[in-house]
Amino acid sequence: MSLLNSVLGGVFDILLLPFRSLPPMIGLVVISALCSVGMLLGYKATSNQPAIEAVKRKIAAGLFEIRLYNDDIVAILKAQGAILRDNLRYLGLNMVPMVFMMVPFVLVIAQLQFHYGYEGLEANEPVLLQVTLQEGASSDVSLELPDGVRLDAPAVRMAALPGTAWRLVPESSGSYELGIIVGSERLTKTLVVDDTVTRRSPFRLAPSFLNQLLYPAEPPLPADSAAVEIALHYPDRELSVLGFGQHWLVWFFLLTIVLAFAMKGWFGVTI
Amino acid sequence: MKALRLSAIALLAVAAAGALFSLGARAQTPTENMIVMGIDGLDYTLVREMIDAGRLPNLARMEREGQFGPLETAATPQSPVAWSNFITGLDSGGHGIFDFLHRDLTSGLPFGFPYQATALNEPPGPEFKMAGYVFPLWGGDPKLGRHGTAFWQHLADAGIPATVVRMPANYPPVGAGERELSGMGTPDLRGSPGESFFFSTDRRQFMKTDVSGGFIYPADVIDGKFEGTIIGLDDNPLTEAENDAISTDFVVYVDPDEDVAKFEVGTQQFVMQAGEWSDWKTLDFEMLPYLASMTGAVRFFLKSVRPEFEVYVTPIQVDPMAPALPIAEPAEFALELAEVTGRFYTQEMPEDTHAINNGVLDLAEFLEQTRIAREETVAQFRYLRDTFEGGFLFSYFGSGDQTSHVMWGVTRDTGHPQYDPALHDQYRELIPNIYEEFDALIGETLDTIDDNTTLVVMSDHGFASWRRSFNLNTWLVENGYMTLQRQTSLPVKEFFNGVDWRRTRAYSIGISALYLNLRGREPSGQVAPGDRMALLEQIERDLLATIDPVTGEPAVTKIYIRERDFHDRGNLEIGPDIIVGFANGTRGSGNNALGGIAEEVITDNTEEWSGDHIMDHRTVPGVLFASRPLQREATSLQNLAAALLAEFGIDDFPDGTTPITVINPE
Repeated sequence: MSLLNSVLGGVFDILLLPFRSLPPMIGLVVISALCSVGMLLGYKATSNQPAIEAVKRKIAAGLFEIRLYNDDIVAILKAQGAILRDNLRYLGLNMVPMVFMMVPFVLVIAQLQFHYGYEGLEANEPVLLQVTLQEGASSDVSLELPDGVRLDAPAVRMAALPGTAWRLVPESSGSYELGIIVGSERLTKTLVVDDTVTRRSPFRLAPSFLNQLLYPAEPPLPADSAAVEIALHYPDRELSVLGFGQHWLVWFFLLTIVLAFAMKGWFGVTI
Repeated sequence: MKALRLSAIALLAVAAAGALFSLGARAQTPTENMIVMGIDGLDYTLVREMIDAGRLPNLARMEREGQFGPLETAATPQSPVAWSNFITGLDSGGHGIFDFLHRDLTSGLPFGFPYQATALNEPPGPEFKMAGYVFPLWGGDPKLGRHGTAFWQHLADAGIPATVVRMPANYPPVGAGERELSGMGTPDLRGSPGESFFFSTDRRQFMKTDVSGGFIYPADVIDGKFEGTIIGLDDNPLTEAENDAISTDFVVYVDPDEDVAKFEVGTQQFVMQAGEWSDWKTLDFEMLPYLASMTGAVRFFLKSVRPEFEVYVTPIQVDPMAPALPIAEPAEFALELAEVTGRFYTQEMPEDTHAINNGVLDLAEFLEQTRIAREETVAQFRYLRDTFEGGFLFSYFGSGDQTSHVMWGVTRDTGHPQYDPALHDQYRELIPNIYEEFDALIGETLDTIDDNTTLVVMSDHGFASWRRSFNLNTWLVENGYMTLQRQTSLPVKEFFNGVDWRRTRAYSIGISALYLNLRGREPSGQVAPGDRMALLEQIERDLLATIDPVTGEPAVTKIYIRERDFHDRGNLEIGPDIIVGFANGTRGSGNNALGGIAEEVITDNTEEWSGDHIMDHRTVPGVLFASRPLQREATSLQNLAAALLAEFGIDDFPDGTTPITVINPE
């Protein structure tokens, strides 16, 4: 999983590099278009196209029947029953490509979340770093800060969690690696101070399949680490179109679906 | 000879040009644009002194190039009344605002229940109830208590765009201008004028009983962790259950050694050191699971970590990014301001003077809070000024007034009962420094505006030291106008507890308002309507004859009887029968406002509120500056708007010179 994440991470970094300094929506439109193409090709390859065409024809016939026999209640009810049955079959036929496409889509969304899901920090904007420790682990935690990042308040040692939190202030834009010393262990955490579209990782988590699937932006913590989570609080981002702000995922789904429907004819796909 | 002739022609040309220039200067072109800075409580006498001392160079420039003079305030000089005079060109008889508080006689109480005069609520409409939840169909919306037409409606009618920011007595905004943000009169999210939250491990704090304008809760820090609750509403209006409070929780982790803590408020997490204020944090209050919630915004202040753990939370502001109450017109205007300058205090008077009275914030902490509030309003003003594209812009600044309330007497009056030489030495320049800050902002603005724009700087009243407190209810008791039940002992804290209403002819609610217990009007009325005027004149004589036993001077110098002293009509009936103009230095006592009766009529003012202006209005004038002479004379708040409108060629606005009748829409 780590290997897959690092390969995918590299691919998306390269893919989004040309859009890094552009407004986020531009890159998202391009990525959505690519995903639409991928979705169409995947759908075509994994779905039973003749069966889908046939069931859609039946649904259309049922609708036509309702219109044609609009004075015959029995015929209308029969047609509605047939439409319902054909709709269920249509949904069933879509289940197979859905299952096939779900895996790559989850991977893609997880990657995009770290490019589009968080606001960039600004220089001199305070940010919270927190290390959560295993129950009973030593609370002897300290920081190694690179040049350009300073500690803005003393560490808060939280016995009840247990863990430690710091308020950091990056003094200039850039990508930093923070060192966190837990006992004899040295852990690292990325800090990106930049308002461009770039990979930002809010968490480093203990290794598990789900954690690595959903938080692929940084490698997981070592399995035997005293830390279970390192969190760096980037603010959530909304993408705004004509003053209407929404989570990037809403725009992504909207664009992907609209573009897929717009392009399905070119690829000879029946959806 | 030819050279001589040429020289003569040149001389004549120069003379002609000079004459034309001077003619042009006298025949001023009409104003195309105007910016008005309304600075609450800017005192005429202090401004005059500071100009003469060379400390307000930009206001001095306005005096030199334009005009400067005192501006007569309203009777009574309370901000909602004064600003309503300005807004409508009417006096209280027309606009219907006589005091911060009015009384509701439909409540059934003999004295009527006090309510905030400028903001009312429509009665709730029909409701739909299901599964323990209540779904109001309509009604219950806030409604402006002020009557009369706002002057910027006339600007709008003339096609002049008006932006009106934080105008007092304009909640909810009337919507006549292009953009309006409400000001004084705007409640916090709880619907009150502003109730803060204070959590403390110190018994001396949370055992206090005389707390107003906020809540003090005990705090338990267990294993370095404190869990607090902020109550958004005491009773969820969407449930049938009573006292079903809606609240949001927060957690604070305290470091075992350092004075530092980490806060978790919803999804927001931040570290604070003792003595720090947070930026705005949002709070979500769920009213109907997954369907209805409201958002508020607060700032946290970590007052202390040890030996006592103490956290102050500001009153819950309406979140300008998701307003639950109508604070702006259009609503997007609040969002625009918040996006550009950050979230901001939306409640009527953000400076938490209650917190200092309750001993929750000390003086330095209070002053820091006022600085934050002032910077927010200044940032908004700069944004609006710098993007001003013409028309009319009004912006209100309130923090000078609130700071003066707390600091005026103790730093400027050696005769004040709480005058402290040490405090005086430390803070004597505080109020003058705030005046200098405003002067600098005015200078920036003068440098920004073009020749077609007039800058006006005005205030609603001045300031005076508040040395002596006058309890009108006690005076009424001592002078036989109010009778107590035999078993009643003084003091009475509030709501006339122990008053014998069958033998009471007058009572007082508010700071300087006096009502007769009138038959046919008050539920237990005793005074026959035919005896009313004679009784009012008798009370007037007795009040004017009252001498402060300590100073030997009259305690009251002006009486306003409503029919006699207010000229406008239509809403006169809302008001008190008499308004008392206390002598300069004396003010109505705070506990009188809600029907408290003290042991003595006049006592030293011992409140953490040493300056005031609710006195004889002639002694606390405001100021009026204009960057060029106004064409129409403005001498009072009531005729100021007419003079400003005249600059735009609008001449049909009331100015107090003729009786005006306003039809009460009710």
